[in-house]
Amino acid sequence: MYSPNEHPHTVPLAENNLQPFFVLHKASKSSESTAISPGRPTKRRLDSSPKVSLNNENKNENIKMEAFQCVWSKIESKIKDVLRSINADVFDEIGQWVRESFNEICSCRGPVDPSKSSLPYPFVHNGGLVKKLFTGLVFTKNIETVDDILTFAELGLNLKSRGCYVANISSLDFSTKNGIGGCLRAFLRQLLMVDIEAADVSLLASWYSDHGKYEKPVVVIIEDMERCSGDLLSDFINMLRYVIRILLLNFGTWRSDSIFVKVLLVAACKVSLSVFVLATVDLFKMVDNNEWSVKIPIILIAGVATSADAPRNVLTARALQYLSTSIFSLKCPAERLDAIIEAVLVKNCAGFSVGHKVATFLRSYFLRQDGTVTSFVRALKMAIIQQLSIEPLSFVLKLLVDEGDSKGSWYEDLANLPEELIKHSFELPSYRKYSSNRNNHVELNAMSLGHGLSEMQRLQELWRSRLMCLYEAGRYHKVALLDLYLEALDPELYNSRLSNQGCDSAKDRSLLSNNDKLFKLQRAEVTNQVIRKIRDLPAVKLSQLLKSWERLTKGTMEVHEKIMELQSQMVSEDVKSHKAELTDISKDTMQPIECIPFHELICFKDVDNLQSALAGDPRRRIQIDLLNFYKILKCGCCSNSGGTLSPSMHDTSIMLLRWTFRVPFPIILYAFLPMKEVLYTLAQEHGDLINLHDWFQSFKASISSSGKKGLKKLASPKKRKENTSSQNNSDALLQARFCRAVMELQITGLLRMPSKRRPDCVQRVAFGV
Amino acid sequence: MDVDEIEEEEFGFSRNYFLAKELGSSSRKKSARKLSEIDLVDEEVCVLIPIIVQLYIQLELIAPTVRILHSCAVVFGIGDLSELREVAASIEPKHEKEVNELISSYKSLYSKWLFVLRSGFALLMYGFGSKKALIEDFASKSLTEYSVVVVNGYLQSINLKQVVITLAELLWDQVKLRQKTTSGSLCKSQQPFNTRSMSDLLTFLDSPDLEVEECFVCILVHNIDGPGLRDSDSQQCLASIAACSHVRMVASIDHVNAPLLWDKKMVHTQFDWYWCHVPTFAPYKVESMFFPFILAHGGSAQSVKTASIVLQSLTPNAQNVFKVLAEHQLAHPDEEGMPINNLYSTCRERFLVSSQVTLNSHLTEFKDHELIKTKRNSDGQDCLCIPLTNEALQKLIAEIV
Repeated sequence: MYSPNEHPHTVPLAENNLQPFFVLHKASKSSESTAISPGRPTKRRLDSSPKVSLNNENKNENIKMEAFQCVWSKIESKIKDVLRSINADVFDEIGQWVRESFNEICSCRGPVDPSKSSLPYPFVHNGGLVKKLFTGLVFTKNIETVDDILTFAELGLNLKSRGCYVANISSLDFSTKNGIGGCLRAFLRQLLMVDIEAADVSLLASWYSDHGKYEKPVVVIIEDMERCSGDLLSDFINMLRYVIRILLLNFGTWRSDSIFVKVLLVAACKVSLSVFVLATVDLFKMVDNNEWSVKIPIILIAGVATSADAPRNVLTARALQYLSTSIFSLKCPAERLDAIIEAVLVKNCAGFSVGHKVATFLRSYFLRQDGTVTSFVRALKMAIIQQLSIEPLSFVLKLLVDEGDSKGSWYEDLANLPEELIKHSFELPSYRKYSSNRNNHVELNAMSLGHGLSEMQRLQELWRSRLMCLYEAGRYHKVALLDLYLEALDPELYNSRLSNQGCDSAKDRSLLSNNDKLFKLQRAEVTNQVIRKIRDLPAVKLSQLLKSWERLTKGTMEVHEKIMELQSQMVSEDVKSHKAELTDISKDTMQPIECIPFHELICFKDVDNLQSALAGDPRRRIQIDLLNFYKILKCGCCSNSGGTLSPSMHDTSIMLLRWTFRVPFPIILYAFLPMKEVLYTLAQEHGDLINLHDWFQSFKASISSSGKKGLKKLASPKKRKENTSSQNNSDALLQARFCRAVMELQITGLLRMPSKRRPDCVQRVAFGV
Repeated sequence: MDVDEIEEEEFGFSRNYFLAKELGSSSRKKSARKLSEIDLVDEEVCVLIPIIVQLYIQLELIAPTVRILHSCAVVFGIGDLSELREVAASIEPKHEKEVNELISSYKSLYSKWLFVLRSGFALLMYGFGSKKALIEDFASKSLTEYSVVVVNGYLQSINLKQVVITLAELLWDQVKLRQKTTSGSLCKSQQPFNTRSMSDLLTFLDSPDLEVEECFVCILVHNIDGPGLRDSDSQQCLASIAACSHVRMVASIDHVNAPLLWDKKMVHTQFDWYWCHVPTFAPYKVESMFFPFILAHGGSAQSVKTASIVLQSLTPNAQNVFKVLAEHQLAHPDEEGMPINNLYSTCRERFLVSSQVTLNSHLTEFKDHELIKTKRNSDGQDCLCIPLTNEALQKLIAEIV
C-alpha cells in the first residue's frame, strides 16, 4: 500500500494521514489562503468558474443565511419564552421555598455578627432543624434529562435574579472517576468564577464571608439525581453539612477542649479534598458532639426523573437523614410540546409551517421514539434549513417575519426579485392547481405574487383562529393540541369535506348529523369528538366558550363578527338552534396550508429528507448500501443481474451476499417449530459463525464463476492444486481481495474477528436490514 | 483430537443441521476446515508494520511513511514488502468510474452542507466506503473562510487536548484577522493557550464575547468512532468541543453501531448531528492501515515466522533459553510443560543464566510476545510450554540456529 516508488507526490499527504491531527488550512478572507500543511490538496477550484456566477451564488447563500437567522432567532426566542412561562409557576414556588428555607436558617442562627461566624451549642432553638439540609426535589416527569438541562439552567437564572448564589452541577460531575474533588471543583468554579485545580474548601468560606455577608442563600442545583453516583452524592451531602460546620470551627472562635481536633481541622482544610474527606469521616464523630450551627445557608435542589423513592434508592441512609425535602413538579413533556406547537406552528410566529406528513412524522417521532422536546425543536430547525435549501424563493419567510404591519416595502422587495424567481413561483404545483380550478388569468408578476402571499396569510389566520377555537373547546376535555393540529393540517380530510359540502349544498343546514357521520368515516376523530362536546355543553359554559372565542378570533373579522352575532342572539334565544352554527364556525373554512396556493414557499413537506437528517440509521443503511450498491452506483452491469451475485459486484457486497445465502433458513419453518427451537434457531442465526475457509472458497467461486459455474457450486479445492505461476498470482490477488473485503466488513462492524479459541471462524454481528 | 475441534464439529452439526441447507451433507466437514488449508501468501511483516508505524507516531518521530516502511524492511532483513499487502494495493478497483461519478455527485451538496454548518449543526457522514477524501475535499473547497483542523480518528491514540489548543490558537488568529480588517483594535494579550486548562480552553471556544459575527473554526474528525476515540471520555470531550459556539464539527462514522457511543444529551444538545448518508464505496485505504489481514492470522506457518522474527531480535542467551524449553517439549510431548525450576537448573548448568532474576526477565519477554504459556500440572507446579505443534517447533528451532 505504501510502496515508495508508486506515487511520490502523495507522500506528504500520506504523512498527514499518519498524524493524529493536522491543520488543513487556515481561514482566509481572500482566495489565496495560507498553507500550513504541505499535504493540503489544491484548493479553491471554485475560483476558476466565472466570477459573476460565484458572486450570485454567494449572494444567494447570504440571503438564505439571513432568512434562516431571522426566522430561527424568532422561533427560538419564542420557544424560550414559552418554556419560561410554562415553568413560571413552579419557579415562583421554588423561589418562595428558597426564601422561606433561608429565613428558617437565619431564624435559627439568631442575630448575626458577621465577624463571628460560629456559635456554640446550645444555639439552635427549634429542635435542631438546622442540622438538616433543605432539599427541593423537582420532579421532571420525564425520564429523558435532555429537556431539563435548559429548565434547570433557567431555574438557576431565575434564582439568581431573586438574589441567590447558584451553582448548577450536572450528573457528570458526580462520576466516581472524578471523585468528590470533581463535584466540589465544579461547585466552587461556578460560585467563585475561578478554576481551581486543588479543590480547597476554605476558599468557599472566605468567599462567602466576603460576598455573601450572610444575606444571600447558596443554592446548589443538581440536574439529575438518579444519574449521579449514589455514594458520591451522599458524600457530597454529608460534606455540605460537615464542611460548613468544620470550616466554621476553623474560622470562628473555637471553644473545644480538644486542641488536637482543631489542628486536624486546619490541616484538613488546607490539603486537597480527597484527604480532607477522609479526615472528615474521622472527625464527624468528634465534631458531632459539639453541635455547631450551620452558618453558610446552603440549599439543595435536585431533579428527579422517576418517583419520590429516588432519593431513598440513590442515597445512603446516613445522607438521607440530613435531608429535609420539599417536592415540586414540572410540566410533562407533552404539555410543553403542545405549548410550543401552539406558539410556533399554530400561531405561526415566523410564518413558517410544516405539511401534514411532516407533522405526523414529528408526532410519531416524539411519541414513539425520542420523547424529548429538544429533538422536536431540532427537527423544526432542520426543517427550516431544508426548506430554505430546497425552495429558492423560501427566503420570503424573512419578509413575512420582518413586515408584520408595513406591507408596502414587502411588495417592493418582491418587485426587486429576478424574473426567473417570480416565474418559478407561478409554476409551483399549488398555484397551477389553483389557477386550473379557478380558470382565472392573472398577470404573473410580483404584484400578484404579493397578493397571493397576503391571501395565504389571511387564510392561515382564519385557519389558526378556528383551530384555536376548537382547542379552546376541547381544553376542558384534555384534548391534545397536537392531535387537533394534525387533523386540521390534513389536506385530504379538507378536500373530502369540500366535496361533501358540494353535494349537500342544496340541503338544509340541519344535516349536521350526516356531516358528523362523514367526519367519522374520514377519521377526524379528535375534531369530531370536540364538536360533539360543544353540542353537549350547557348554556352557561357555552356562553363562556363564546367569550373566549371572541377573544381568540379578534384578528379575523369574518369569524369574529359571526361569533359576536351569535353571542347577542344567545342572550335571548334558545341555545340549541345555534349549536349547528357554532360547530360550523369551528370547522368550516379550515383550509390547511397545503391547499393554499404558493404554500410551497413557506411550508416544509419533505418528510423523508427530514427523517434521514434527524436520525441516521447506519445499522440498516450501511447494510443496504452493500446489498443494493448497484442502485446507488447506477452501475449497468450489476443492475442487469437484479441484485443476485455476479462477479462484477463490489467484493464486500459479494461477501455479505454469500453470507446471506449461506444461512437461508426458510421463514415458514419457524411456524412448525416449538417456541424453544425457534428461539434457538434465531439465537444461532444471530450469533452466526462462518468458517473462513468455506467463506473464502465460496467467495472464490463467486468471483471466478463468471457465468460458467453455477453460484451454488463451490470450487473444488483439488482443481486449484494444479499450480501455474499465473494461477499463483491470481490466488494472491484473490486472497488480497478477500482480506480487504473482510477488513471492510470489520470496519463497518458487521463482522467480529476470529477469537483465539476459534481461529478459523468469524462472527457476524449485525443482522436484519 | 483437540477439544476445540470437537466443539467445532458439534457446533457445526447443530447449526448446519437447520441452517446450511445449501451445503447439503458436506457442510459438516467443510465448516470444520482450517484456514491453513488455503495456500496462504506471505504476510508476516504486515502484522508488524502497523505496530511499528504506531510506535513511531507515539514517539512523535513522524517520518514519512516510506522511510518507516524501508526501515521495517531493513530491520527484518526482508527485501520485499509483504506480498499480500502489495497485491492488495494493486487490486484493480471495481466500478471506478461509477464510484468517481458518485463522489463527484456529492459536490452539488457542498453548498447545502456549508449552510447546515453555518446554521449551527454538526455534520455526520455515514454510509459504506471511505469518506476521508470526500470530507477533505468539501473542507478545502467550501470551508476556505474558516480554519480547518483534521483529526484522524482511525489512529490508535489521539491527544484531544492538543487538538483543542490548536483550535483555540486558530480561533484566536481568526479573531485577530477579522478585528484587523474591521476595527483595527486588538484584544488584550493573554496567557498562551498551551498552558491553559481544558475547561479554560473550552470556555474560550465558547465565549460569547468575541464580538465577531459568525466566527468559527472547523474540526473534521475522520472516524469519530475509531479505535483512538471510542472511549467515553474522548467522546465526552469531543461532545464538549462540538458544543462550543465557535466550533463546527464535521465527522464520519463507519461502524454500524457508532450511535451507541452517544447518549441523548450528547446527540441533541452537544453534537447536534445533521446526518448525511453519503456512501462512497471508495476503498478504506488509510482507515484499514491498522487492521491485520485476516488470512495472516493463525496458521502454524505464520506463527513460526512471527516467532522466529521475535526470537532473532533477542540475545543469543535468550534464544538458547528458548531452545532448552523447546527441546524439552519435543522430548516430552506428553508432559504438560517444563517446570520453571527444571528450566532454571538446566539453564544454569549450561551457563545461560546466572540467577533466577535473569531467567525471569527472559521469560517475561517470551510471555509478552506470546511465545510461551504457563500451565499448572497435576502436582501443582507451574510449567512452561510453547503453544506450537511439534512440527512447527522443530521448524522454529531449525530457523533460529
